[in-house]
Amino acid sequence: MQPFEAEHKIINPEDFEKNFSTLNLGPTHPATHGIFQNILTMNGETIEDAVQTIGYIHRAFEKIAERRPYYQITPLTDRLNYCSAPINNLGWHMTVEKLLGVKSTKRIDYMRIIVMELARIADHLICNSVIGVDSGALTGFVYMFEKREMIYDIYEEICGARLTSNLGRIGGFERDFTPSVIQKIRELLVELPKTINQFENLLMRNRIFMDRTINVGSISAERALNYSFSGPCLRAAGVDYDVRVMNPYSSYEDFDFTIPLGINGDTYDRFCVRQEEIKQSLRLIKSALENLPQGAYHMDVPEFYLPPKEKVYSEMESLIWHFKIVMGEINVPVGEVYHAVEGGNGELGFYLVSDGGRTPFRLHFRRPGFIYYQAFPEMIKGSVLSDAILTMSSMNVIAGELDA
Amino acid sequence: MNDEILLLLLKDMFPLEIVNVDTSSDMLTLEISKTAIYKVLAYLKNPLDFIYLTSLCGIHYPERELPLGVVYHLHNLYDNKRLRLKVFLSDEDPHIKSCVGIFSAANWMERETFDFYGIIFDGHPNLIRILNVEYMDYHPMRKEYPLEDSTRTDKDDKFFGR
Repeated sequence: MQPFEAEHKIINPEDFEKNFSTLNLGPTHPATHGIFQNILTMNGETIEDAVQTIGYIHRAFEKIAERRPYYQITPLTDRLNYCSAPINNLGWHMTVEKLLGVKSTKRIDYMRIIVMELARIADHLICNSVIGVDSGALTGFVYMFEKREMIYDIYEEICGARLTSNLGRIGGFERDFTPSVIQKIRELLVELPKTINQFENLLMRNRIFMDRTINVGSISAERALNYSFSGPCLRAAGVDYDVRVMNPYSSYEDFDFTIPLGINGDTYDRFCVRQEEIKQSLRLIKSALENLPQGAYHMDVPEFYLPPKEKVYSEMESLIWHFKIVMGEINVPVGEVYHAVEGGNGELGFYLVSDGGRTPFRLHFRRPGFIYYQAFPEMIKGSVLSDAILTMSSMNVIAGELDA
Repeated sequence: MNDEILLLLLKDMFPLEIVNVDTSSDMLTLEISKTAIYKVLAYLKNPLDFIYLTSLCGIHYPERELPLGVVYHLHNLYDNKRLRLKVFLSDEDPHIKSCVGIFSAANWMERETFDFYGIIFDGHPNLIRILNVEYMDYHPMRKEYPLEDSTRTDKDDKFFGR
């Protein structure tokens, strides 16, 4: 047998054969929810070491983005964290607006908050119900998915797409919220808390679930910060870092909401933090919907925002802008920005360098999943295989985001 | 802590190592000489409390004298202060000291930068490709590997008219 080369140590081949066995978890394994490979060194049922292989769905988005006009990069961001695609879309639009130096109106901000919080709820619903599935409780998953369907219906009403949404435009939204959107959101605000309650009754104080998740895959606050954790995984370890509060964007400072924190940074804390965040998101949506200001749903940025179709057919200037935008002939001012939003599972950052051309000179996505997934071996060392599966699903690692 | 105080502290500690200061972008941007980056990062982490490495990525300016760059984004979570550091390297000697010893998170970020830009991080525990296949023999994010131009006209395609 080949000597097993782990990241930091090399195990002697003779010792290896005597004590350890190698287990390939993945690349395609039904319990990993995506294409992840983990080569585990097992001592009986206990994990001694793990080496991850990633990059199976690498699509070179950063390279492609260097060839595309700005509005064509939005569909690329959909495919990062596809469980909460609208957050990526709107985060990218806000980055470009920051580079251009345009300030969005309150109505756009509030509409964005509503959409982003819906996306966060959808993201957390999937993640938490999948933790349930991996610990053997399939029922909750089915109930939660029904409610996620309601959120996807709202996306569909807003932008016409469901999973990879391409929602919004640079400068605002493609169309205003229709009365049917508002009505569907109100329905969700009534229906979702009931299901959340049922789900929490099922799992939160369930003896089996607690035994399976408490002290499983835990990480201390220091280690989590050293590994640059962000999002629910960091907050479960007890660090109150949330981009929405630290660097408010899109008028989050107007709203009153709390940031839930965990203590141990284990799977159960991550579950509880997400569960509470869903409720806070509902609160945000409710308050944004009640206080939704009147006004335009897009800004006056003719270089980037497509004019209405009737004007394109009747006005020369609109026709010119339409042509220039669609052909991507708009030059963007020279500049360099970093903009971060609180994505479904952490700080989603866009580092954008423009040299004054029609495409970005350099675009780097700070994907939270890519950064904190490297702590996975440390979190599962010494635990059993079934705990590793639970730890992985509670970290909410999304393959699209991991591999960009 | 504001930009001026931070800059004073850093300039006091590293008078020669800070090559360039740029306050025009969204956060304070410093260009550091490549020999000093490890010391600067360590000093920024302790005592200046920049404990959070937000991102680390590469950048390539093919026409410059020092074409390859590494960009660090740091975050001081106590004072909520962000900082951007840049280091530029030559094509012939793309070596820089790894900062995995300071930030564990830098491990994969440095591997990614190596993978795409060919920047070699000395002292990295496991500097191998991460997203691309291992037998790839070039670093694809460098500007000398352009993607096909979407506006090119030399192709003959009778269905799509280009």
